[in-house]
Amino acid sequence: MRYTAFTSYDIVLLAQGLGVSLALFLATTIIGLLLGSLWAIIRFYRVPVLMQIVTVFAELLKNSPVLVQLFLVFFGLPAFARLNVTPVEAAVITLSGNTAAFVYVIAVSAIESIGRDQIEAARVSGLSRWQVLRHIIAPQAMAFAIGPLTGLLVNQLQVTSLISVIGVVDLTKIGNILNLRTLKPFIVWAIVGGLYYVMAKLVAFGGATLEKRLRAHTAWKGL
Amino acid sequence: MISVRGVRKAFGTATVLDGIDLDVHSGEVVSILGSSGSGKSTLIRCMNGLEKLDGGRITIDDFDVSRPKELAEARKRSATVFQLFNLYPHMTAVQNIALAPVEVLKIPRKQAEADARALLDSVGLSARADAFPAQLSGGQRQRVGICRALAMKPRYLLLDEITSALDPEMTSDVLAILAKLARDGTTMVFVTHEIEFARTISSRIVFLDKGQLVVDLPTAEFFAADGGMAKPRIAQFLSKMRKD
Repeated sequence: MRYTAFTSYDIVLLAQGLGVSLALFLATTIIGLLLGSLWAIIRFYRVPVLMQIVTVFAELLKNSPVLVQLFLVFFGLPAFARLNVTPVEAAVITLSGNTAAFVYVIAVSAIESIGRDQIEAARVSGLSRWQVLRHIIAPQAMAFAIGPLTGLLVNQLQVTSLISVIGVVDLTKIGNILNLRTLKPFIVWAIVGGLYYVMAKLVAFGGATLEKRLRAHTAWKGL
Repeated sequence: MISVRGVRKAFGTATVLDGIDLDVHSGEVVSILGSSGSGKSTLIRCMNGLEKLDGGRITIDDFDVSRPKELAEARKRSATVFQLFNLYPHMTAVQNIALAPVEVLKIPRKQAEADARALLDSVGLSARADAFPAQLSGGQRQRVGICRALAMKPRYLLLDEITSALDPEMTSDVLAILAKLARDGTTMVFVTHEIEFARTISSRIVFLDKGQLVVDLPTAEFFAADGGMAKPRIAQFLSKMRKD
């Protein structure tokens, strides 16, 4: 006889899966933000050679499916580079790179939306390139980028569900396990979907709050 | 002294400055006049190192603006006020003014902000010190721009058509500040279309036409009946400006 009822231990399992998904999302978001911003700075200052490498790399990452990238890292690195990676390591590498590629695009357009006239004013005042980046470009680029970045991160949160296919026990994998045991797919996937929804709403709320703070200086309050 | 020697600048095939020679001595107010496209603003942009020269040399107190290592020193001695203000929109008026003194001159932030407030007070903007640029009128923004330049305690003030984006009332507010600076002995290079104001405050007038320096004369001589060989062109320009 098969035991198909839900137990209190299932809540622990779901919490564990949620924790793994959240941790991976946070880690890959931080790495992706840092990496993507660095690539955008390389592009902004037109660093020779590095700029071309970054452009090609970002193009490849943006224009190929995340699942294919995940398989290439998980199965390809051991086969071609003799580098053994665990499922979690493969997930971190893939999601960080993918996030970085899209952060790069958003950061480049945010930087380019800042008026050249301000940068010129800062330069003639004697500010160095680093000081211009820190005081003039970065704060305004963040304000411009925060909206699209929030959208990207909400999407990347959903993309983390793909890593279950290489064996990472995240929220989706737990959902799969519970589904196979309870044979109640509608309930299981509704709960899993609800948890993703709550996380996505929290990310969106955080983004909107930050955007409001960063755009406090603009007179525009919307229609 | 600002020394401009044989300066040439072209954008593609268009020559904008063609062998300009000019000296600006301490305490002088030099107005640069000329039609649109004559190269006035480009000359100012070459002086502050925003444009690379195609030929010639510009030095500010013997620091060559074309040499990256000397440009920083040249920029410490000069400050620019721009036509469209170029304020930092995410900073308040005080923050706009105090940024460069804190970062470049290494003045403590509290001191720099107190100095900024004193400067804003001197141009009648003490009540708007904590406003963002978007909350200020055009004339107020330009006054903040002037304070930002003065906060660096420059020896030379470069002003690029700073009233052309303002209405007549705002223009007179800004010109009153410049007149005071001129009376105080501030060295200024002043690109303008305000002919009568240039006549009032300038010690010399430089007239550019199609990238060439046509005349460089003391103000009284420039406006006198006898303007020499270049007079017909100048008379034509002055007549047109007065009609406008």
